[in-house]
Amino acid sequence: MSNNDSIKKYLNQLRKYLSRLEKEEADEVIREIEAHIFDVIEAREQAGEAPNIQEIFNGFGEPKELASKYISHIMVGTPPPEGFRPIQIVKRGVSKTLYYSMLVFGYGISFALIAFALVNLFLPYTLGVWSSASGESIVIGWLPQADLSNGAKVFSGLWLSPVAIVLAAIEFFITHRVLRVLKRHLN
Amino acid sequence: MDKDKQQESKWDAQLRKGTLELAILAALKPRPMYGLELLNNLHSFETMVISEGTLYPLLDRLKRDGLTDASWQQEGDARPRKFYGLTDKGRQKLKVLEARWRQSVADIETLLAAQGQ
Repeated sequence: MSNNDSIKKYLNQLRKYLSRLEKEEADEVIREIEAHIFDVIEAREQAGEAPNIQEIFNGFGEPKELASKYISHIMVGTPPPEGFRPIQIVKRGVSKTLYYSMLVFGYGISFALIAFALVNLFLPYTLGVWSSASGESIVIGWLPQADLSNGAKVFSGLWLSPVAIVLAAIEFFITHRVLRVLKRHLN
Repeated sequence: MDKDKQQESKWDAQLRKGTLELAILAALKPRPMYGLELLNNLHSFETMVISEGTLYPLLDRLKRDGLTDASWQQEGDARPRKFYGLTDKGRQKLKVLEARWRQSVADIETLLAAQGQ
C-alpha cells in the first residue's frame, strides 16, 4: 500500500470513529492530523530520510483509541434524572375485565383438561380425535359408538389421561403466574 | 539500572498527567504555535516527550475550554496549519497554575532539604 493510501485509510477509520462529533468538528480534526502527517513526511524527505509512515501512526495511536480521546467530553455528562426512561410506558394499568377474562380463560382450559382426563379414564376409546378412512375429515370429541369398521382411525386411549393432567398442570401454573403479574398492575 | 530507567519513565508519565496542561499553556505563551511545532518544542525537553495522540486531543480540549483559540494560517508555500494561541482565560489560568506549581516545588524542596535532619 502506498503512503497516501495508508494515510487515507487511517483518516477514514478515524472519521468513522469520530461520527459522534458534529461534521465540522470532525472535519477539523481530520484536517489537522492530515496536515501534521504530511508536514512530518515532508520534513523527513527534505532531510534526505525515508519517512516511516507507520511510526507516525503509532504516535497517534489506533484510530479508535485516538477518536475516543476526542469524544470523551461527549460521553461524560450529567446522568439522566431519576425516573427517566428513554421509552415511556404509555399505559401500565390492567383493567378488571382483562384480569377476570384471563382468570376464566386460563383456569377454564386447565379444568377442561382435568375433566377430559377423568372422563377418559372411565370411558377410554370414546374420547379422542377421529379421522375417516380416506383422511378427508377429522372429528374431535366424544363418539360413544364409533364406527371403525370402514378403516377410520382413532387417536385415543387411556394414555391421554396423564398427558391431559400434565397439560392441565402446566396451564394452571402459567395462568397463576400471569395473573400474579396482572394483579400487581390492576387499576 | 534498567529498573531505574523504568521508574524514571513511570514517574515522568505520572507527573506529566497533572502538569502537561501547565507546560502547554506556558509553551504557547510567547507566541501561537501549530501542533507539530509545539510537539517538537516539547520534545526538546527531557521529561516532555509526549505522543501525537496525547497532544492533539489535549489541544482540542484546551480550545473547547476556551483557554486557547485556534486559526488556520498559511505561511508562504506551506500547507495551512492550525495555530493555537492563549486567550485571556488561558493566560489567567496559566498564572494560577504557575503559582501552584511554584508552591508545590517549594514544598517538596523543603521536604527534601529536611530529610536526614
